[in-house]
Amino acid sequence: MAPPETAAPAVRLDGITKRFGDVVANDGVDFTLERGTVHALLGENGSGKTTLMSVLYGLYDQDAGTIAIDGQPRAFDSPRDAMDAGVGMIHQHFQLVEPMTVLQNVILGHEPTENGLVDEAAARDDVEAICSRYDFDVDRYLDTPVRELDLGARQRVEIVKSLYRGAEILVLDEPTAVLTPQEADRLFDVMDELTASGRSLVFITHKLDEALTAADEITVLRDGAAVGTVAAADATERELARLMVGREVLFDRERRETAPGEPLLAVEDLRVRGDRGLERVREVGFTVREREILGVAGVQGNGQTELVEALAGLRPVASGAIRFRGEDVTGLSRRERIEAGIAYVPEDRQTEGLVQDYDLVHNALLGNHTIEPYARRGFVDWAAVREHAEEIVREYDVQPPTPDAEAASLSGGNQQKFIAGREIEHDPDVMVAAHPTRGVDVGSIEFIHDRLLALRDAGLAIVLVSSKLEEIRTLSDRIAVMYEGEFVDTVDPDAVTDEELGLLMAGRDRGEDPTDARRGEAEVEPDRADGPDGGGRA
Amino acid sequence: MTDPDAGGGRRLDRAADRMLGASAVQRLLIATASTVLALVVGLVVVAAAGYDPATFLVNVFEGSFGDATAVAQTLRSTTLFVLTGVAVAVAFRAGVFNIGVQGQFVVGGFATVVSILWLAPLAPENAVGGAALLVCGALAAVVAGGLYGALPGVLKAYADANEIITTIMLNFIAIGVVGWLVDGPFRGEGQRAPNTARIPEHVGLPRLVFDVPDFSVVGLAVALVAVGAIAVVMERTRLGYDMITSGHQEAAAAFSGVDAKRTIVATMTLSGMVAGVAGAVFAVMIQGYYSDPSGIGTYGFDAIAVSLLAANNPLGVVPAGLLFGGLDAAGRHIGIYSDVPVQLIDGVVGLVVLFVAAPELFRMAARRTGLGGEDR
Amino acid sequence: MSVADYAARNRVRIGAAVGLLAGAALLAALLDLPVAAIVTVGFVERTLQAATPIALAAVGGLYAEKSGVFNIGLEGFMIFGAANAGAVAWLSGGGSPTQLDLWVGILAAVLLSLAYGAIFAALTIRYEADQIVAGLAVWFVGLGFGPFTAVVLWGNRNSPRLASVADLTVPVLSELPVVGPVLFDTSPLVALAALAVGISWVVLYRTRYGYWLRAAGENPEALDTAGVSVARVRYGAVIFSAAMAGLAGAVLLAHAGSFTGTGDTMVNGRGWIGIVAYLFGNYNPIGAGAAAVLFGGLDMLQIQFQTAGIEVPNRLVNLFPYAAVVVVLTVWGSTRMPAAVGEPYESEE
Repeated sequence: MAPPETAAPAVRLDGITKRFGDVVANDGVDFTLERGTVHALLGENGSGKTTLMSVLYGLYDQDAGTIAIDGQPRAFDSPRDAMDAGVGMIHQHFQLVEPMTVLQNVILGHEPTENGLVDEAAARDDVEAICSRYDFDVDRYLDTPVRELDLGARQRVEIVKSLYRGAEILVLDEPTAVLTPQEADRLFDVMDELTASGRSLVFITHKLDEALTAADEITVLRDGAAVGTVAAADATERELARLMVGREVLFDRERRETAPGEPLLAVEDLRVRGDRGLERVREVGFTVREREILGVAGVQGNGQTELVEALAGLRPVASGAIRFRGEDVTGLSRRERIEAGIAYVPEDRQTEGLVQDYDLVHNALLGNHTIEPYARRGFVDWAAVREHAEEIVREYDVQPPTPDAEAASLSGGNQQKFIAGREIEHDPDVMVAAHPTRGVDVGSIEFIHDRLLALRDAGLAIVLVSSKLEEIRTLSDRIAVMYEGEFVDTVDPDAVTDEELGLLMAGRDRGEDPTDARRGEAEVEPDRADGPDGGGRA
Repeated sequence: MTDPDAGGGRRLDRAADRMLGASAVQRLLIATASTVLALVVGLVVVAAAGYDPATFLVNVFEGSFGDATAVAQTLRSTTLFVLTGVAVAVAFRAGVFNIGVQGQFVVGGFATVVSILWLAPLAPENAVGGAALLVCGALAAVVAGGLYGALPGVLKAYADANEIITTIMLNFIAIGVVGWLVDGPFRGEGQRAPNTARIPEHVGLPRLVFDVPDFSVVGLAVALVAVGAIAVVMERTRLGYDMITSGHQEAAAAFSGVDAKRTIVATMTLSGMVAGVAGAVFAVMIQGYYSDPSGIGTYGFDAIAVSLLAANNPLGVVPAGLLFGGLDAAGRHIGIYSDVPVQLIDGVVGLVVLFVAAPELFRMAARRTGLGGEDR
Repeated sequence: MSVADYAARNRVRIGAAVGLLAGAALLAALLDLPVAAIVTVGFVERTLQAATPIALAAVGGLYAEKSGVFNIGLEGFMIFGAANAGAVAWLSGGGSPTQLDLWVGILAAVLLSLAYGAIFAALTIRYEADQIVAGLAVWFVGLGFGPFTAVVLWGNRNSPRLASVADLTVPVLSELPVVGPVLFDTSPLVALAALAVGISWVVLYRTRYGYWLRAAGENPEALDTAGVSVARVRYGAVIFSAAMAGLAGAVLLAHAGSFTGTGDTMVNGRGWIGIVAYLFGNYNPIGAGAAAVLFGGLDMLQIQFQTAGIEVPNRLVNLFPYAAVVVVLTVWGSTRMPAAVGEPYESEE
């Protein structure tokens, strides 16, 4: 499908307004995507970027405003309509069917058939043609089930899928969130190739530097409204940040001098197996002292989950030892570790940290239900629990400020503040925090960061696992980089660049020539980087 | 990372969400609407099959609340529905689908009769001896029902065997094995039908208030005490909190330091124990011996409807049990005084369950007719 | 997925099934059982006949679950199928049904099951009914209205003798030893079921509808964003599963020749066994068919024991299939379910 030769922009959105109940997600947004360019949509989480593009893609109906594609007014009732008009979207959560093969995923919904049967041979030819045109490696693993692919490869499958469906306009929703810096660079090259062939891209991101690197134009959204559109060539990070947040932003948090004390948590030669019996943590050893935060950086799925679960007592240890104040606690159960003073802010607050359909009173008992005064001789003292819940809600600024709210009704940030509060109120000595600010609003992030620093200053030893480099860098006293189950290096946050961290996270030496790394990365076999254990379900 | 167990857990969770997510008033409305709608469908079927629905309705009321005997008949069935209903509610509330209450009920009742028959020669033949035998019989039922419930619990927790299917299979097995036992090894001397011997006359529940052979208010009292005890366990104790948390969100239970697998076994055991008590009451109060369980009535299945109607709340089981007790008594009355096939009542019970399963049906209907609920 | 792939991926399962048979043979040798009297040509024939309804129900249930709806009501749909087939055959034949009336009854049972399936699908998909509770309800409704139909028509929970389906005898071929009577002189419904299993496999793995079905159960959003309606795919699968279960019930009746409505009715757990058959077959129609044969054989052992003169109480031998189900579930319980089963999907529009 060749683009019609007109001067009209690829996409033109005029005054798009979208409400969810009382919440205005998009407020009269104008947006123009010129043909053959990349236009970044920049904004904080919740600023309305994804909603705007979902309107374009036919997932939502706008309450007001118009959409024009190639100058023609359009209204899409469904993604199918949008697709037929040449609009494709790469979602943040990949829309792939894990047990089906790459080829089957690419052609899903658009299968060529012969005599009623799917003609995979014909489909294969078409997909290989697309791959060779854009120099994608996807054709090398067309018969591999998607669940065996790493995230970077899955993303390329998604792009090929859109191209197969004839997309001229591609929306990429936070495409770099799951990638290493090197994989992200590779993606930007792909984006260049796509625009060179006349395709037009919308690049949704909240990362300033990426928008500046990859886009031709940048539109900033704040609280659902477009607050400015600038040419990337003329923009600066400071200017964009001011537009995004609505005030001046300090980029460098001042580092505090700290004096770590006695070792509290020590791990020796730890080996932990994943859900499918594969070794996911390999001979990891470290020590965390009083008044110290150890940051664990790494691309998701490199064994961090198994490591924190082993520390928290939720996953058995294959070999090695965990010592707490010098005593071996490897054999202690989760309950015994809670009582010993090891607190845990879990990776998945939705399924682990909170029972979604309990109110906050019932959630305040979670993990406390063997501890007086909340429980005595097997009976629960709900009055005491309620008091505790009220205290957490008050102290940790949980909104809405009532313990009768159902956990599911709270925003991510408030859920996380509640969990953090509950765990801190155990009065622990060691805190294991996994992704404490994932999917949390800006205000709550600051709040949680301040609490973590305050805990450290109060003498706790903290293990912080996060895939946000910025978070790890600002909070940690030391950074350990985890790759394929190993701590490949432990570095000083003040003496390392993002580039170097990225190389470590990709399993390279940090002194390695990045171009070599790039080439190496391109040849990653589909089932290697993440392993069959990653991402899949049992 | 997705927890591999989360799939099943979350599935149950959503099931519970939809059943329990409704407010109390909504639940009551849904329960009422389900029952009424099911009865209406039943009446339509009655009419379509060529019977007079009005006469049928009159028969239903006469059979359930028409006179003292009818009330006694209703309360007799209510007693069993409340007990079996609580057994189901314990499990469902904790997110475990124990469909095996019927089997646990059968095993418990049989254990009661056998233990009383075995111990009777050792106890004095008076009221004290009778009471002691009753207690022993009840204990035997609790142990047998609990163990028979624990088995699928263990299979679910440690071998991931779907408890819905294992409990249904164990129902078939319990009925088959006990049926064989009462026909062969345990057949009472001189019994023409495949029945055990009768338990001695002095072992039985006293006839108070109602002078009918197969109902005693003591049985009803046992049921109500069980309701109270279970309600306290579920709402006020650590065990109850652990059970409900494990059922709602296994990962959250594990996070709180609870062994979710052991808790699932505990839930099934407790559920089976209550079902065992129901079996004991049935054996002592109604039968006085044990017969082929394929013909004793499906209290353990109907209990599923009772529990769902009560939104799996132990206290709600009492009114729901009363409703089903009335329907059951009416069914027996109809079997005698009317030519409408009593199987209709079973079908209506099934319809009640079907409608209770789909609260959204009523919510949408309410929205359509503007009776309430918010528009989407 | 080809048959070879399936065999390669399920080596353990297939190995276990072979091991089970070997174990049974060993046990028979140790106990000095008259194997020749147990494993007869008649036994193989009866086994296939007993496997037929289980296989049909299993294939139906498999489709529904693959699409994301756990149709736990198979047992109930089977009861309806049996009762309706019997009733229509009886009415059509004016009390003495012929072969034609029987086939009319089977067809009518399937058509009625389509209608019931549509209602069930609407409740579970449109009205987001809890699939497990709604499925149980179908069973209860079947247990009530199946026998109700019988009492209305025949004044008894059991029907009088109706008609059982005549064997289809292929000339010449049926004279072959062993293969002849098993394959060429048997109920045509056995062949029908075998055909249904084969076609189901082709549809599931070789047609676009099969792709959509699998996607609907694994990641409905992916299918939705590919522009295919998840609801429509699921409606199709659920209605198909009800029709297959209805056919399974009708087949059961056509083989038995009369309706039994006492106890748990003549279906007596076969729908539940159908669910286990497809779990054991790892959601593959051919695997499910093979598992159905295994359960069918267990079901028919009782007759063999009797004719071989082995003294085991019938009532206990009858429990073999149920016990086998528990064992199978215990050993293979952790079968990977489609990821989105049980979750209503709402397209975001």
